Amino acid sequence: MSQAFTKSMARNIFFGGSAFFFLLLVALTFDTMQVLPKRDHRENITPAVERGKMVWEKNDCIGCHTLLGEGAYFAPELGNVYKRRGGEFVKAWIKSQPTKVPGRRQMPQFNLTDQELDDMVAFLKWTGEINTSKWPPNIEG
Amino acid sequence: MQYQSQKVAMPYFIAAIGLFTGQILFGLIMGLQYVMGDFLFPAIPFNVARMVHTNLLIVWLLFGFMGAAYYMIPEETESELFSPKLAWLMFWIFLVAGALTIVGYLLVPYAGLAKMTFNDLWPTMGREFLEQPLPTKLGIVVVALAFLFNISMTILKGRKTSIALVLLMGLWGLAVFFLFSFYNPSNLVLDKYFWWWTVHLWVEGVWELILGSLLAFVLIKVTGVDREIIEKWLYIIVAMTLITGIIGTGHHYYWIGTPEYWQWFGSVFSALEPIPFFMMTVFAFTMVNRRRREHPNKAATLWALGTGVMSFLGAGVWGFLHTLAPVNFYTHGTQITAAHGHMAFYGAYVMVVLTIISYAMPVMRGRAANSEKAQVMEMWSFWLMTVAIVFITLFLTAAGILQVWLQRVSDTPMGFMAAQDQVTLFYWLREISGVIFLIGLITYIASFFVGGETKEAA
Amino acid sequence: MSTPSIVLHSHKPGSPPGDLAIWFFIFAELLAFGIFFGSYAFSRAHHVELFNQSQLLLNRESGAINALVLITSSYFVVRAVAAIKQGLDRECANWLAAAIGLGCVFVVIKLFEFHAKFSAGISLSTNTFYMFYLSLTIFHFMHVILGMVILAAVMLKARRGGYTPEEHTGVETGASYWHMVDLVWVVLFPLVYVIR
Repeated sequence: MSQAFTKSMARNIFFGGSAFFFLLLVALTFDTMQVLPKRDHRENITPAVERGKMVWEKNDCIGCHTLLGEGAYFAPELGNVYKRRGGEFVKAWIKSQPTKVPGRRQMPQFNLTDQELDDMVAFLKWTGEINTSKWPPNIEG
Repeated sequence: MQYQSQKVAMPYFIAAIGLFTGQILFGLIMGLQYVMGDFLFPAIPFNVARMVHTNLLIVWLLFGFMGAAYYMIPEETESELFSPKLAWLMFWIFLVAGALTIVGYLLVPYAGLAKMTFNDLWPTMGREFLEQPLPTKLGIVVVALAFLFNISMTILKGRKTSIALVLLMGLWGLAVFFLFSFYNPSNLVLDKYFWWWTVHLWVEGVWELILGSLLAFVLIKVTGVDREIIEKWLYIIVAMTLITGIIGTGHHYYWIGTPEYWQWFGSVFSALEPIPFFMMTVFAFTMVNRRRREHPNKAATLWALGTGVMSFLGAGVWGFLHTLAPVNFYTHGTQITAAHGHMAFYGAYVMVVLTIISYAMPVMRGRAANSEKAQVMEMWSFWLMTVAIVFITLFLTAAGILQVWLQRVSDTPMGFMAAQDQVTLFYWLREISGVIFLIGLITYIASFFVGGETKEAA
Repeated sequence: MSTPSIVLHSHKPGSPPGDLAIWFFIFAELLAFGIFFGSYAFSRAHHVELFNQSQLLLNRESGAINALVLITSSYFVVRAVAAIKQGLDRECANWLAAAIGLGCVFVVIKLFEFHAKFSAGISLSTNTFYMFYLSLTIFHFMHVILGMVILAAVMLKARRGGYTPEEHTGVETGASYWHMVDLVWVVLFPLVYVIR
């Protein structure tokens, strides 16, 4: 090991480098926050969309599905499900679960009210309109 | 064992291994549900099993980290723990809170659990990995603060080594970035953006500081190489980790509504993320080759080397495989991600916790190392689990490549479930590998009960 | 415990000057810049028209002046290292101060340039060219500031007489980093401002 490789220099690089790059992350985050309103269309977040997100979270939908590609990989992507299937299909689907087809993956019956179903669809519709840089590659998600 | 208070690590390690077993059992349930969809339905739906699987992983790793800190810090600072009583109290609080949460997941429908735990007042539940009810989240904060207080006070009154310092920074970072789990705006894009500040800055940031310091500690012990040398490598490795990993967060900001420049920042910096892992591999092997003593605990050395190799493969290579934006466009949210997740978590965090347990447990049980027989058994478990995880990863990668091809690349893309039906074979093979992993784990636990002749601790 | 032994020569022949640790850092930094430059070239090949058009709006004069400023400051740093090798710590500190002064000139010129771009409404999301232009120059800008902090720390220590002709690794370490910052600009300026 070279004598000229000192621990204090290594430590300085650790502290300096981490602080430097954390500042860079903060700066980029700041810029991102300025740009986001144009991409997430937050003006369309109605109370129904907000309630719909709550319904989504309270039933742990992310435990099977992906939403914008994040979540579990057991069941279909739902970020674009409004475009793929339409709101009425989504509601009918949720209401008719589980399919009870032997051997098939089963989705639980969540006993959502009509209001909750409408809110969920509103949330999924808004989610589908986020500018995701053309992801997913096709409608199948 | 040089300090009495180190012994408080023992219950933490035992709890960690117990919860680890639970994690694997639920993993096997999920693996089976991938091929026999209605298995255990409706008693344990997939989302519940997954919540239990991932939450147990997080909780047992936290138990492992805390146990490791309680074991290492007295030796590093050359002083007894500030308060062993507090450590014991926190152990029980954390264990009971964790167990209650898991029981809650299993017995109460999630929406009911949300209602019972006042999720409406401050909604934080229902987000991947952060599914814990609000009281549990608050409990984690309390336990973490009490733990950090205990560790920080011990370091303040004792010798301040670089290993202790890096460990402390990692642990404080862990607590600080967990606070982002309390921020859940109704704007999904913002929610996801800062969700990653907990998840990414944990596993590809501050946890790696913990990983590095645990590995460095064990390497000093088993190789006898000069502390100066090991510590400067530790600094360089964790520096590289944060330099690449912090902006590497950008590889999660490609397709969630965030600006497109993240595709460049994320790709460039996460392409560099394998470097610190590669350095870690070289570091572990170099130190073992230059060892100044033959430590009787061969198993611990094996785990340490395994951590170096498997974290590089899992986090470094499998991470790089799908981190570049043009590739990730097709692979995002597929079984490729699952493949990477399994090998990275096992190779980096599971293995490093098992490394420190392997080193520390015999010492706490009053001997330098376990008997030859017990060690051979432990090494068998090492190979069984490691080979099993390699195969799990390979099969999931194969499933992922097929999935991407059928569902995303093809001119006539298949629907999700149709594509899943095509890759069933790989899910079966993965499940078989999972069973082998469980056999490895049982072997591992059994190795603790093998007697035989041992040397007294020095 | 190894005690840091006194090294007679500033560095072993064949090993790089300064602390080896800084070379890991420099290597990583050059790699990051290198990949960014490569991405720029790749991206430009796909949007030649856009890149050429947007490039015309850059202020080449200020970029060129800044290149001269940094090269000159690098020369001053070389003089500082030469000075400390002869034990002239006062002179070393003065050369370093001059280099830092030129660093400030760079920063001021760059701030004017950024100000002009931002008031024209240009941001990271304007187009791919400006994404690269702003990312690369701001990233480099932050390096200049970090480099100045390092040089300042070295200068203060030199002024206190903290270095000797035998042991002045710190000066060489700081100098190596500053040369890297300079080198990156010497590549960045032609690549982003000039080559069409």
